[in-house]
Amino acid sequence: MITVNNLSKVFRQQNGEELYAVNNLSFTADKGEIVVLLGVNGAGKTTTMRMLSTILQPSSGTATLEGYDLKKDPQNVRANLGFLSGDTGLYARLTARETITYFARLYDVPENKIHDRINKMADLLDMHDFLDKKIDFLSTGMKQKVSIVRSIIHDPPIMIFDEPTAGLDILTAKNIISFIHKCKEDGKCVLFSTHIMREAERIADKIVMIHQGKVLAQGSWEEFIENTGLHDLDDIFIHYVNNVVKEDA
Amino acid sequence: MNIKKIIVIYKKEMLDLLRDKRTIITSFVLPIILYPLLMIGLTSMTSRQEIKLEQQEIVIYLNDMSQNEISREIRGSLSEIETLQIMDEAIVYNEDTYLDLLKDKSIEALITVEDSLSSTGYTILNLTCFYDETSEKSSMAYRKIRDNLRDLEEVLISKRLDKIKINSEILNAVEIKKENIAPPEQMVGFIVGKFLPYLLIILTISGASVIASDLIAGEKERGTLETILVSAAKRNELVIGKYLTIITISIITVLLNLLSMYIAFRHIFMQMGQTMGNFQLPIGNFALILLLMIPLITFFSAILLSISTYSRNIKEAQSYQMPLLFGAIMLSMVSFLPGFELNLGFSLIPIVNFSLLMRDIMLNNYQLSYLFIVIGSTLVLDVVTVYISIKLFHSENVLFRTAEEKSLKFWGKNKKNILNLQFVLVYFVIMILALYYIGERWQIQDLMRGLVKTEVLLILLPVIVILRFSKTDIKKTLRLNYTNPMNFLLVIIAALPFLLLAGIVGQIINLIFPLSDTYLENLQSLLSTDQNSIWLIIFVVGILPGICEEVMFRGFILSSLKKSGFWHGIIFTAVLFGVFHLDPFRFLPVSLLGIWLGYLAWKTKSLYVPILAHIMQNSLAILITNYSDKFKFLDFIVKDGNIAYWVIIPAVIIIYFVVKGLHTFNPAETQDNSLEY
Ligand SMILES: Nc1ncnc2c1ncn2[C@@H]1O[C@H](COP(=O)(O)OP(=O)(O)OP(=O)(O)O)[C@@H](O)[C@H]1O
Ligand SMILES: [Mg+2]
Repeated sequence: MITVNNLSKVFRQQNGEELYAVNNLSFTADKGEIVVLLGVNGAGKTTTMRMLSTILQPSSGTATLEGYDLKKDPQNVRANLGFLSGDTGLYARLTARETITYFARLYDVPENKIHDRINKMADLLDMHDFLDKKIDFLSTGMKQKVSIVRSIIHDPPIMIFDEPTAGLDILTAKNIISFIHKCKEDGKCVLFSTHIMREAERIADKIVMIHQGKVLAQGSWEEFIENTGLHDLDDIFIHYVNNVVKEDA
Repeated sequence: MNIKKIIVIYKKEMLDLLRDKRTIITSFVLPIILYPLLMIGLTSMTSRQEIKLEQQEIVIYLNDMSQNEISREIRGSLSEIETLQIMDEAIVYNEDTYLDLLKDKSIEALITVEDSLSSTGYTILNLTCFYDETSEKSSMAYRKIRDNLRDLEEVLISKRLDKIKINSEILNAVEIKKENIAPPEQMVGFIVGKFLPYLLIILTISGASVIASDLIAGEKERGTLETILVSAAKRNELVIGKYLTIITISIITVLLNLLSMYIAFRHIFMQMGQTMGNFQLPIGNFALILLLMIPLITFFSAILLSISTYSRNIKEAQSYQMPLLFGAIMLSMVSFLPGFELNLGFSLIPIVNFSLLMRDIMLNNYQLSYLFIVIGSTLVLDVVTVYISIKLFHSENVLFRTAEEKSLKFWGKNKKNILNLQFVLVYFVIMILALYYIGERWQIQDLMRGLVKTEVLLILLPVIVILRFSKTDIKKTLRLNYTNPMNFLLVIIAALPFLLLAGIVGQIINLIFPLSDTYLENLQSLLSTDQNSIWLIIFVVGILPGICEEVMFRGFILSSLKKSGFWHGIIFTAVLFGVFHLDPFRFLPVSLLGIWLGYLAWKTKSLYVPILAHIMQNSLAILITNYSDKFKFLDFIVKDGNIAYWVIIPAVIIIYFVVKGLHTFNPAETQDNSLEY
């Protein structure tokens, strides 16, 4: 599970001013739960997820993943984590199988289990046709499947997906969403980010709305309806943004 | 660090690169085909060209104005040269027309013959041969004519001697025979040694740079960097794995280069076997060079890897690699230059050391000690650069750099902002160019006048103009502030110790890079009173630079670098001050002086103090050069033109107390905040 505690990230901008990309963020995500980070462009979703995956160092605050502290034990955090973002790429000159095998080795998957795991995942995502083709020759949807398998080949308990459906057609996107559902059923803890309200509505057990680095509101879909009396997530989001604007004024 | 992980990364990178066409071409195909093409092609082409030239018809014109017996003999002798045709003299043009014909290559040479009488009554024929050195055909015509006429002269002289009954052997007082004792191996080494280091260094670096830019900047560009950063591999494992990949491919490249070169050479020598006799190519030397390339490769790979880590994409990496490549090309060319011998100093300069050492190895005369120094110093640099690479790879600011937007904004509207780092750099470069192209010309015309013009017009005036137009507070920028008179006294006390310290630094540099005597004489003659009065020299070389250069460096530049922080600003200014003197051998002592002057300006908040210090420094040097006999007390410090090294101790002690004094008289609290760093 993930516990985020007052996490902040400050970037120094070109003009010398400080920018709070993430500002005192706190939330939790449990086993078997899909938590959606929902926010507009620039809200701080990617920055949060990069901190959780130890690529960026938090400016203050911390988080634990599976009980491992982000700052003290980044090595173990990474070993328990699968990370995938919409704009991560693949090595064009390697085949799908070579790519996945490479990452399996980086994640210390035992050599004798690699082959079986690849086969199992290929069954699940219907990938056998292109496993031995070079990535360069694959379609966008096929590549996305390879990316997914690559990121979770070590069977991590926690998965972080940063807008994994961005730029994909509805069929491929649906495939990925159903795969994420399956992960949840397997008892994984999934953190998922999007700026598409409908998507959040459909898969989330819990939604964390963030805006300008801060949490606007968090809770389940039902709780939001109850608290605001509104039935459309778009409206609910705008409602909370307006609240903040009023508070600031 | 986990070796198994590193191997996994290494294997993947190798697989990935070996499937890349660009790598294959630059690292493997190019070296294999380059040498055969280069050598076989070149030799056959030049020999064919020569034969063709030899057989070509040459047309010349002989303008015979003496028309006597000897000149007719000359004509006769020249017409015996096959392929040479002397133009009919019936068509009487004037000489200019013939020069025109020569220029448009209708004829290859023009000879005019006139005669004169020597004081003893013999006729001397004065021949002038006009030809075009840039045309191979014309040059050949000249050579043929010269050889032919030399033979003729011998005949003529012996005839004259015969007439007065003297044996012509009287002319052979000294006979010179030339016998080249260098064995063919060494001749090959001599020729190969010149261009081998250059070719090898350039080919390896350009191969390695293609790979290096792909390895990290390429991963950023394609968005795969994140995926490996979140994997369970540690960052230093990633760096080392990639580092080993560059090294491996570069070593293969070098190996292919040497092998291909060796085979191409053997082929050529086999063809020329009859004339050259039987001999072995120095294969042991090739092996030693291969071994020597390994530390050089590891060094370059580490630098290239750091560049790749810092760059946001491949294109950016390539543009950062450019200066490195150019620098390497320039430095590796020292093997072409005559007179450059490997010594302790050169053996510590990267690339220069390899270039010279490889040349010596091919010549079979290298010193083992230098071999070890070169390898050892490079390995030290290796460790440092790899460490930097790993550090960079740990820094998120470097890995996730965002686009720089403000690139050339310093031309913007805000006039107060004009004084910043970029502006200073651009200004400095322009000034150096002006010094080099304009100042030096003035000084060649008239040294003293030129120096005055340089200091006032090129150094002082532009600064004043810029400060006027930028509407900055000149008094504040140049620190024209009142200061405690005690500061002046302290500076005067420190002048001699500083001069001696700078002298010692110069002396040490002289040990490492021995200077030629002419260089030292030139420097001395500038300061000596042989041609100018002492007062003029003190004014032009001592006082004027003290004022103008301080306004420029400790005034204008140092104030413009306020933002960079106190020591950064001072050191950067001092480095520019060192560069400004356009003399690599004086760079270090001058920069040290620059640090001292910068410190004085900052500490006393007044430009007057460094101005006095600068003037004292220069004038003291002038006085000591000219009146060393009057400075008797210096005799026990300076022995045989060298300053004794124990002087460092009292000098440092005096400077220490001067610094203490400066602290007492310029307490930090009173420091003007607007001038704070
Ligand atoms: N390396 C960086 N340096 C400086 N500022 C950054 C950096 N990375 C992100 N930012 C800024 O931080 C803010 C949050 O960015 P972030 O990428 O986390 O947003 P996001 O919610 O993922 O948006 P999107 O939907 O566009 O992906 C933005 O204003 C962005 O400009
Ligand atoms: Mg994002």
